[in-house]
Amino acid sequence: MNYEGQRMTEATPPKTNPGLFKRNPPIAGEAEAIEAAKNGDAEAFSRLYNLHKRRVYTLTLRMLGNVSEAEDMTQEAFLHLFRKIGSFRGESAFSTWLHRLTVNLVLMHLRKKGLNLVSLEETINPSDEDAPKRDFGTHDPVLTGSVDRVALERAVASLPPGYRMVFVLHDVEGFEHNEIAAMLECSTGNSKSQLHKARLRLRELLRQPSTQQDESPEIAK
Amino acid sequence: MSVPANIDFDNLKPEEFERVLPDLFADGAGKVSQDPRLQKFLHANPDCAALVSDLETIAEHARSLFEPVGDPSDKVWKNIQSKLKEEAGDVGSEDGEEEEKPKN
Repeated sequence: MNYEGQRMTEATPPKTNPGLFKRNPPIAGEAEAIEAAKNGDAEAFSRLYNLHKRRVYTLTLRMLGNVSEAEDMTQEAFLHLFRKIGSFRGESAFSTWLHRLTVNLVLMHLRKKGLNLVSLEETINPSDEDAPKRDFGTHDPVLTGSVDRVALERAVASLPPGYRMVFVLHDVEGFEHNEIAAMLECSTGNSKSQLHKARLRLRELLRQPSTQQDESPEIAK
Repeated sequence: MSVPANIDFDNLKPEEFERVLPDLFADGAGKVSQDPRLQKFLHANPDCAALVSDLETIAEHARSLFEPVGDPSDKVWKNIQSKLKEEAGDVGSEDGEEEEKPKN
């Protein structure tokens, strides 16, 4: 399936995802920069990069859990953006369009890295050994209503890729299960199940002493 | 997939609760812990109540990860400029300064 061709053009109208739109308000000067960039204005490219580099980088970092890969994918996302900007027609927020472009690039990257030998439906299901334990734990809420952000970042980065992907797309980025299912080419039920397993795994990780979490993959600076 | 309509919430067993929990989280307009249908069950099953509380805490705090973590290093923009130049000529540095940083 040519994921790139399908996803990189502005075929998808804005979805009714209040969270996402709330997070993507219009940015002053953006519309002018987009039009100028369509005409090859180098300054406009620079402005668009500066307006969106943090969001794109944060997204790739959350999805990949690795600074080096996140920078590579940020680079690729903006290269794609500059190549394809002529196809942006303003039917959705530019940031939403760029966000989806980035998500799809990361997914393609992960497929190329090793998810290409089996279907994604299988791949996003970690092995039984990786699956979170199904016990309910203790009587008291373990997290006492609060989670340290750094600890959560580390725990998310250490999730198996399939769990991490669904967790980031749903709980962090605000996509709906049907949107995630379309992006990951799996069922809506699978997306719900993966999200639940991801949260269970995070609960386990956040209950562990910090020394164990320190062994997690490299994350934010 | 959604919460089965035939669930007897008044006589829910923990195993059944565990099975439908992903759908309860996905379908609920509000918090699972505040679902009126589950109050009796959660009161009688503190382990399940603790699990729900923890999972809600994780989901709530996940939103904080949306906030930007920082900028990518300068090499990212340099690489972008370089690649675009290779592809389409002099992009991003009309005055020939290859190392120019993007303007803020």
